[in-house]
Amino acid sequence: MFLTRSEYDRGVNTFSPEGRLFQVEYAIEAIKLGSTTIGIKTPEGVIIAVEKRVQSPLLESSSIEKIMEIDSHLGCAMSGLIADARTMIDHARVTAQNHSFTYDEKIKVESVTQAVCDLALRFGESVHDEDAMMSRPFGVALLIAGVDELGPQLFHTDPSGTFVRYNAKAIGSGSEAAQAELQDKWHSKMTLQEAQILTLRVLKQVMEEKLDHNNVQVAQVTPTKGFEILDETKLKSVIDLM
Amino acid sequence: MSIMEYNGGSVIAMVGKDCVAIASDLRLGNQALGISSNFQKIFPVTDRIYLGLPGLATDVTTLRELFRYRVNMYTIKEERDIEPETFAHLVSSTLYERRFGPFFIEPVMAGMSKTPSGGYKPFIAATDLIGCLNFAKDFVVAGTASSKLYGVAEGLWEPDLEPEDLFETISQTMLNAVDRDAYSGWGVIVHVMTKDKVITRTLKGRMD
Amino acid sequence: MPDMVSLDRAGPQQRQFNPYSDNGGTILAIAGADFSVIAGDTRQSEGYNIQTRYAPKVFKLTDKAVLAVNGFAADGNMFVKRVRQRLEWYRHAHAKDMPLRAIARLIQTMLYGRRFFPYYVYNILGGIEEDGSGAVYSFDPVGSYERESCRAAGAAQSLVQPFLDNQIYFKNQTAAPGTTHPKHLPLQEVLSLVIDSFTSATERHIEASVGDGLEMYVVLARGSQLQGLENVPNVQEMTTTSDGERIFIIRRELKKD
Repeated sequence: MFLTRSEYDRGVNTFSPEGRLFQVEYAIEAIKLGSTTIGIKTPEGVIIAVEKRVQSPLLESSSIEKIMEIDSHLGCAMSGLIADARTMIDHARVTAQNHSFTYDEKIKVESVTQAVCDLALRFGESVHDEDAMMSRPFGVALLIAGVDELGPQLFHTDPSGTFVRYNAKAIGSGSEAAQAELQDKWHSKMTLQEAQILTLRVLKQVMEEKLDHNNVQVAQVTPTKGFEILDETKLKSVIDLM
Repeated sequence: MSIMEYNGGSVIAMVGKDCVAIASDLRLGNQALGISSNFQKIFPVTDRIYLGLPGLATDVTTLRELFRYRVNMYTIKEERDIEPETFAHLVSSTLYERRFGPFFIEPVMAGMSKTPSGGYKPFIAATDLIGCLNFAKDFVVAGTASSKLYGVAEGLWEPDLEPEDLFETISQTMLNAVDRDAYSGWGVIVHVMTKDKVITRTLKGRMD
Repeated sequence: MPDMVSLDRAGPQQRQFNPYSDNGGTILAIAGADFSVIAGDTRQSEGYNIQTRYAPKVFKLTDKAVLAVNGFAADGNMFVKRVRQRLEWYRHAHAKDMPLRAIARLIQTMLYGRRFFPYYVYNILGGIEEDGSGAVYSFDPVGSYERESCRAAGAAQSLVQPFLDNQIYFKNQTAAPGTTHPKHLPLQEVLSLVIDSFTSATERHIEASVGDGLEMYVVLARGSQLQGLENVPNVQEMTTTSDGERIFIIRRELKKD
């Protein structure tokens, strides 16, 4: 890793002779240090789940917030630098609200994802009379879950601003093992409950601690009830089923 | 503020087959404030002439009395009822006397006039506030809802309506026009005149 | 010195430019169960002066939306241009045509955006809703809007609207015992009412600012029958795609005096 360092590491927007933007690539690497986050799409809705690393017994685990609401039909789970995600979620929320204000309809999942990704490459030196931008790429990846007229959808975004739609996706430190497991277990006719159980099973496999309701967070987006974070009782009942 | 809209009110008259009809709303207002829902604006002049006086309420009273006086004088001198055409000219010249300080009234009249053969034929007319006569063959309108009355009447009226159909046509015209006028409404009164009788009906309308 | 005196006497002066004018005309829209009719006359006038006998006031926006614009013609034409621009931007951003209710809301935000220097226009939007129903939205110049099943606007609004109240909403009419008034009228009857409304307005409008020509747009919901449109003279289809909603235009002459 450190062997490849060169002068092209310095300018955040400078291509290397091989045509790479190192800072962006490092940012993508940073995601792999983040906690494991999983998303699964089913015909009944989308499940997103995160591992909450509780480093100290004195830490209030409920204060770790890695799943956030964007709009009533849109949710987001993250891995990487959580503080960076707040900037993106803020932008997503404003975009979604502006859309329903202007068009009297819910914004599409792909459209908010696009809006968030528009921010991703706005780093470097700010141009005259433009708003102050980030000085570096965002160090976070998002799983954006939502339901719109095209049905339930799950999108993955990374610091390069690329976004891809997935049936099931894992990001973060345990993503490689988790993704392999998802590839093995996911099928197109999954029920919502099967997906809830699968997310927790996969998380359990890649987590160091023993999984309980304090160190995971699960949310779902359904056509009928929209975005909701599973409360303690619901979460416990899924854990029991697992 | 236009003085023609001070008290509000509208009148319409229509020709049918051997019949005429005249209708008005029953509202008296003080600009936007409703004062009375039984303010008559149509008055019988003879057995076969009805006169509608939409406009400034004080002039409604004044002109009704003035025309009563002048028609009585005519009847006494001539020893016969005034004919609708003659009465229309009486209205016209009376209003023109006040050419430079007019009554704020746009009269509408309806009647059955005698034919040389001894029959009767329908007659309607209207004037502006200084007495310019308008002898229409179909319908005449006046008052704060006049543009609405024109629109509905132009859509609903057809030639040679029988008395009952003419009643329905003038009633629907009046009701729907005054419902879109803030200064007219609060009930409608309709008179349908044939050669031998007048049928008067009071209609319930929206009270808002 | 004598010049100074005369200047003193002149006193303060005021000059003003009036950026608006009224170009007359009337527009009208009626919604059916699975269609919508949007109509307007084609005369453009200023006072008693006829500027042109053919200036369309009704515009096709998409395959399911038609916008009628009445009032100050310059503002109206510019407004339609901007709505169309926003529609295209939306297509690029969201990969679909804007639904009718979204267009309605967009028009509100565009109009209210000019709250303190308004577009001097009354808008009526007609078309087909996402659920396949015929719809009419009407607006005031600063964006207040409402979905209705019929609306007239413009110079002859006061003539036409009470007639429509009576014939479309059956206002002041009581249904025969055991029956109810229909919620929507068939296309043929709606077209007759539209033609009657415009001939009446042309006949009776005081400033003679209604007349010359009549353009009626008919939007049919996806998969609905022609409902007699095939027999209407002077009808022309304007649809761009083979599936989905269909748009037709019917042209008629109105009196030119």
